[in-house]
Amino acid sequence: MVDIVPLSSYPSYIDLLPSIQTCNITNLPENYFLKYYLYHALTWPQLSFVAVVRPKNGYPAGGKFGGIAGDVSGQYPKVVGYVLAKMEEEPSDGMQHGHITSISVMRTHRRLGIAERLMRMSQRAMAESHRANYVSLHVRVSNNAALRLYRDTLGFEVEKVESKYYADGEDAYAMHLKLQDQWMDWKAVEKRDREERKKNKKEGENGDDDEEDVDEGDEVGDLGKKEDGEKMVKVKMGRGLGVGDLVEKSDVQS
Amino acid sequence: MPQPLNSKDQSLFRQVVRNFEQKQYKKGIKTADQVLRKNPKHGDTQAMKSLIMSHLGQLEEAFVLAKEALRNDMKSHICWHVYGLLYRQEKNYEEAIKAYRFALRLDPDSQPIQRDLALLQMQMRDFQGYIQSRTSMLQVRPAIRQNWTALAIAHHLSGDLAEAEKVLTTYEDTLKDIPPVADMEHSEACLYKNTIIAESGDLERALEHLEKIGYRCTDVLAVMELKADYLLRLGRKSEAEEAYTALLDRNPENSVYYNGLIQAKGIPETDHKALKALYDEWVEKNPRGDAARRIPLDFLEGDDFKQAVDTYLQRMLKKGVPSLFANIKLLYTNSAKRDVVQSLVEGYVSGSAGSQANGSAEGNNEFLASSYYFLAQHYNYHLSRNLPKAMENVDKAIELSPKAVEYQMTKARVWKHYGNPVKAAEEMEKARLLDEKDRYINTKAAKYQLRNNENEKGLDLMSKFTRNETVGGTLGDLHEMQCVWFLTEDAEAFLRQKKLGLALKRFHSVFNIFETWQEDQFDFHSFSLRKGMVRAYVDMVRWEDRLREHPFYVRIALGAIKAYLLLNDQPDLVHGPMPSAPNGTEGSEDERKKALKKAKKEQQRLEKIEADKREARKAAASNAKSQSVDGEVKKEDADPLGNALVQTKDPLQDAMKFLTPLLELSAQNVEAQCLGYEIYIRRNKYLPALKCLSAAHAIEPSNPTLHLQLLQFRKTLDSLPEALPAQTAEVINTEIEKLLPKSQNLEEWNESFISANKNSVPHIQAALSARQLLKPDSKAQSEKDLLASLDSPTVTIDEAVAALDLLDKWGSNKTAYAEKASKKWPESSVFLLN
Repeated sequence: MVDIVPLSSYPSYIDLLPSIQTCNITNLPENYFLKYYLYHALTWPQLSFVAVVRPKNGYPAGGKFGGIAGDVSGQYPKVVGYVLAKMEEEPSDGMQHGHITSISVMRTHRRLGIAERLMRMSQRAMAESHRANYVSLHVRVSNNAALRLYRDTLGFEVEKVESKYYADGEDAYAMHLKLQDQWMDWKAVEKRDREERKKNKKEGENGDDDEEDVDEGDEVGDLGKKEDGEKMVKVKMGRGLGVGDLVEKSDVQS
Repeated sequence: MPQPLNSKDQSLFRQVVRNFEQKQYKKGIKTADQVLRKNPKHGDTQAMKSLIMSHLGQLEEAFVLAKEALRNDMKSHICWHVYGLLYRQEKNYEEAIKAYRFALRLDPDSQPIQRDLALLQMQMRDFQGYIQSRTSMLQVRPAIRQNWTALAIAHHLSGDLAEAEKVLTTYEDTLKDIPPVADMEHSEACLYKNTIIAESGDLERALEHLEKIGYRCTDVLAVMELKADYLLRLGRKSEAEEAYTALLDRNPENSVYYNGLIQAKGIPETDHKALKALYDEWVEKNPRGDAARRIPLDFLEGDDFKQAVDTYLQRMLKKGVPSLFANIKLLYTNSAKRDVVQSLVEGYVSGSAGSQANGSAEGNNEFLASSYYFLAQHYNYHLSRNLPKAMENVDKAIELSPKAVEYQMTKARVWKHYGNPVKAAEEMEKARLLDEKDRYINTKAAKYQLRNNENEKGLDLMSKFTRNETVGGTLGDLHEMQCVWFLTEDAEAFLRQKKLGLALKRFHSVFNIFETWQEDQFDFHSFSLRKGMVRAYVDMVRWEDRLREHPFYVRIALGAIKAYLLLNDQPDLVHGPMPSAPNGTEGSEDERKKALKKAKKEQQRLEKIEADKREARKAAASNAKSQSVDGEVKKEDADPLGNALVQTKDPLQDAMKFLTPLLELSAQNVEAQCLGYEIYIRRNKYLPALKCLSAAHAIEPSNPTLHLQLLQFRKTLDSLPEALPAQTAEVINTEIEKLLPKSQNLEEWNESFISANKNSVPHIQAALSARQLLKPDSKAQSEKDLLASLDSPTVTIDEAVAALDLLDKWGSNKTAYAEKASKKWPESSVFLLN
């Protein structure tokens, strides 16, 4: 029995990271440091999902932290599949979009629709959480099973062939799938915002309203800007590269 | 006293700082040298230069220079800050914190120093210090949300939920208007606050808060999960039902949601009919899913079960789902269900399944092959094992589908259970050849080589999917990619061969990977605040605190401790494996010397091979780059055979490094406690040794290893060369009295242990060792009894292999036992003594 669960949103299965890394290096030639998985899990916690074998007696309720709902910390069910996904940080076409960094399912657990379910969960989260216009991925031109899933089942389209994309010289199809139809209805949210505001105002008229006092005053502009100006260094990650560079420059500017 | 710089040099100095920030390290050094030529004692410049050097991999030289800088300018915050940064690079966080604190005292307003200090406090879990740092950072820049969130995290992790919530609320109250929906930082901060409220236990308020903020949070799934859980736990059943239905609509493949729905609906566990109806509804809504079909098999009984499992099996066999057996075997703890499954699938292959007739010949063929494959796994499984039948079925499956990788894999597994790792590796290799481009099967083939102690062949297979041009070749790449499973299996194979240097080498490699993983969190202390994904960050911090609880760590720690114990008990193994004489009798001193000489010669041969390999790689790489892309210089391992590790003066002390996290985080692991005892007793640390025994006793009072250890401990106490300090003695006596009272006649105690556990071979083995401890002259009888235990109906191959080790320990002749075991398991290879 396989359960599809989020990696690091809620409830968090972040304990499984080493097992996910093992699943990847067992199945695929493209491998990453644990830190790269962490980077995904902590930057886009909504987008990655894991397929685990349900423990014999389920997941004992209530984890270690005061019974916070859904806490499954300290449990290590067997990982048989995962999807590791991200948002493209500097999209060349200027369009906000998601990208599947890596997906795999153990050979022993194929034909159960696990990969499809993982993909659908991730796609939906990309649309809802990040308003992704589309999701992109690469697939080996020889990988028929995966192609069938992406093209026939999920509706991806081949955008182009990327010559010698893989380390062993094989070409890749660059594929994508539009996601706008799964976007959240922000207009509705904003409408409700307005309603809530009205409601609050009415309540506020009865109570004391000292909103004026809380303003921060002049400090805001300048400092805020400076912080924004500390731009993150963009790094290529994955093989041979660490996340080290995503830290701000360690500095002694004084 | 510091030298003031003239204005030209001052601007050069600023240039150095810029060079460093822009990672123009070589330029930076040049510019620094330019300043230093005229101002050789300018501390700040020296400090900057040393910082740059440290980034060029010259940490040692950098320290020398940084110390000189400090001598020249004790009052410079730059010098102290750099000194701290160097310590940080060395991972000496305590010293780094001290240096930062000095720097901060000299320049209390410096934000960079304050921030560096805060990051380290977080890394070290100095929450009080972190709260202080974060409070002062907030005071400087209260307009930035990150600073509020960071302070809230500090309070939260220190356990002060109320204060954490208050900080978040204070910031929220400064917002004049609700931020736009697209503001993820806001969305996340709201959800973070919600989880803090829930963690405080006030679900009512958490739910209320969630209603207020949830509709505009963009992590839709998280909001749904939280809501469903709160509602259910608050007993608001009909709303909970709705919430779980919504979750299942999104993802019908999560058993937790079904459980939630069932609880919300209040369906009793015993009402199988209602439960089945519920699951059937979801099968209809989601015909391609598995969960709703599979879960009912857990609770259905009798004819209902038979009918349901029949449908399930046939559907999956027709589809040829390879995981079918893995999915079914969990039912086998119920032997009635096991038997139903067996007779059903046996029925399919003997042609009695009614539904087959309507399939095409080809479809029928696949159905049949899948069924044989299923039966092969069934008879290979320990709860339904019949290896000849397993082999028969797998051969039939292979005959029908000679190219099916899974079938061939199963054949290898049957051989494994036959106790024949040689054949198992051969058969797995055949499976690999069926699909050479698939890494999964390559992984399996490599693993089976390692299980057969063929380390080189295993590595060679791995090389088909690694970057072999990496420094250190295939093995180097596997280290770089943190391939824990391989390093662990490799280590265990070396340990089985008593090649302790290499075994320790690999165990330490995995240990170091865990250190790296712990280190990995550092960058996220600042990164995650910028990204605003604080829930995931807090979960990560907590996970890091229990990192070594992971089964991967437990496994290598147990292995490493065993290796160190072996090394302690048989110091000759430092030179490599020593042949154990099959005739048992402790070899004469002459023989020992001969064996040692041989082992040393072998060791020299291996060293030469390694050296040659290194040379070859060096030659090959001389024109290629020896630097990895990130500019870090990768060095060849100077001690590939682990000589430095194995030549330790104090193996027991070295083992502590592995043992301490194990006892702290996996205290419920009985094997860990037993091994802990072995380490402590050899170090004459009686209290901790006893603590391990007590812990083991609490977990599994009749554990066989514990039985032997209790006895040994008792005997040790009785024959101490000098009395223990009175206080220690008292504690020990009180505690051991609970486990093995002094009044107890030990021989009787041992014999009654045997009779109470006469059906368990491990218990018998332990008791026989115990008997020898009590009566050294009983060896012959024990050997006889051990041999007789081979007739036990429950004895397994692994247990028989353990008996061989035991005979080794007793210094007994293994031939008779090995021959009898060989006859009992004619297909096995593990009892062939060489």
